[in-house]
Amino acid sequence: MHHLSLYFHFVKLRIRSQMEYRLSFVFDLFSQASVSVIDFCMIALLFNRFKQLEGWSLWEVGFLYGMIGICFAVAEMIGRGFDVFQESVVRGEFDTMLVRPLGTFYQVFAHEFVLRRVGRLAQAVAILLISNSQLVIYWSFAKVGYLLISLVSGTCFFIALFVIGATSCFWTVQSIEVINIFTHGGVFMGSYPFSIYRWWFRRFFTFIVPLACVNYFPSLFVLGKVESLGVSPVGVQLAPFAGFLFLGITMLFWRFGVSRYQSTGH
Amino acid sequence: MKSLYLAFQVYLAFTMKSFQKRMQYRVANLAGLTTNFFFLLVQIFVYTAFYAVYTGPLPLNLHEIITYFVLCQAFFMLMPFWGTRSEVTSAIKSGDVVLQLTKPVDFQAYWFADECGRAYYYLFMRGLPTFLISILFLDVAIPQQPAVLMAFAVSMTLSIFMSAVITITISSSAFWTLDTTGIVGMSYSIITLFSGMLVPIALWPEWLAHIARWLPFEGLIDVPFSIYLGKITGIDVWVAIGKQVAWNLFFLGFGRFLLTRGFSRLIIQGG
Repeated sequence: MHHLSLYFHFVKLRIRSQMEYRLSFVFDLFSQASVSVIDFCMIALLFNRFKQLEGWSLWEVGFLYGMIGICFAVAEMIGRGFDVFQESVVRGEFDTMLVRPLGTFYQVFAHEFVLRRVGRLAQAVAILLISNSQLVIYWSFAKVGYLLISLVSGTCFFIALFVIGATSCFWTVQSIEVINIFTHGGVFMGSYPFSIYRWWFRRFFTFIVPLACVNYFPSLFVLGKVESLGVSPVGVQLAPFAGFLFLGITMLFWRFGVSRYQSTGH
Repeated sequence: MKSLYLAFQVYLAFTMKSFQKRMQYRVANLAGLTTNFFFLLVQIFVYTAFYAVYTGPLPLNLHEIITYFVLCQAFFMLMPFWGTRSEVTSAIKSGDVVLQLTKPVDFQAYWFADECGRAYYYLFMRGLPTFLISILFLDVAIPQQPAVLMAFAVSMTLSIFMSAVITITISSSAFWTLDTTGIVGMSYSIITLFSGMLVPIALWPEWLAHIARWLPFEGLIDVPFSIYLGKITGIDVWVAIGKQVAWNLFFLGFGRFLLTRGFSRLIIQGG
């Protein structure tokens, strides 16, 4: 409980400092939204020409896009601390975290909160809602709950990727940029139904990096596509938990990394 | 003539410096290359799936689409605001601009030389490897006529020049608002969309394609790639290249106008 209230206190401080430059903040918000909206323009242009993609309509794909967009925006908003972690290692600032009476994972997590990602988040939520209004989805409490769990799980998935990038700093000092393939690349490929990819690509992004579990499979359930595609219904219902599991594993990796930490000096 | 040659030498030196500066980040470049291929792969999956079921007539076949996106991945880092952030803005923000003003060089030409160095870096370190590896593993079309290749080279060079000039012009808005995030974000979106980098303009709906044809940004991606694919032929090639030249001159003039106005009201930041 103490951790939680302390976290909200940190968030409040971050927001206050970011609001100091109010005009800057508005520009940022605007820029974030306009940058991410062109991704959807791309999808819309393609569907305008080709009409459908393996039985998926524009708005079904829009739903998929909205889901992954929300997860990524929230992950960037709250998990930014891990994204910029390499600077702490380069400057030797991580040493100070080690002597504080709080877990290192918690401290890095609470270190940053980027409010301006709301721009991107709003854009993704808007696409999700528009898609929903264009589709006939039979909503029940269970479905809403399932969707929310999936979104949280997807957010955990992206944070886990940031954690992997940050943990690699303990060995390489610089964050490994290849992680961008999975974060930005994940958003890009997650915006399309997984069935269009080759089997080895699908396997990799289901069992090793579980992107499909937090995005594609949940969308099948919500959009009522489970039966028609012959996917295991139990598997689909359990899929979102892969995101939590993935984050759990990366936290263990983080702990291992911290034990190997050698300061760059201060 | 001698002075012209000397001036050229000076700016060439700036270009080389800018190139060398970026050569420091070779490991990052390798990661970038990997990312390029990942995106390329996904794009190919997406288009293959779209093409598999679509039966109507299309202006580009799948083979040409793959070539288009190979070229895209090879050249997108040279496009405005895609590669490493332009240093024009940060120079104005930090006040470093004053150092450049004390040098006996033309400000716009100086930044142009710097941007060219950036372009050459991405051309050789990103573009060339991406293209060569793609030829080995993917079904990439290669123009058979030397004339087409020549026209492509000219058009692509004009595209790179325009990219540099656009970057300088938009970045110089920092003279008015120190925070250029909004303007840069907006420009980035418009340029990326209307250059045809996301979807080739030939596949767009008529009305939107019409708007794109009246904007300068198709000259960055869509025009040179269409020349490469043989979609623009004969006299149209000259018209397309002529338009590119005209837009280049426009941005050169407009950028110069903005810079002159900017300097007249410049307040140096920091000390």
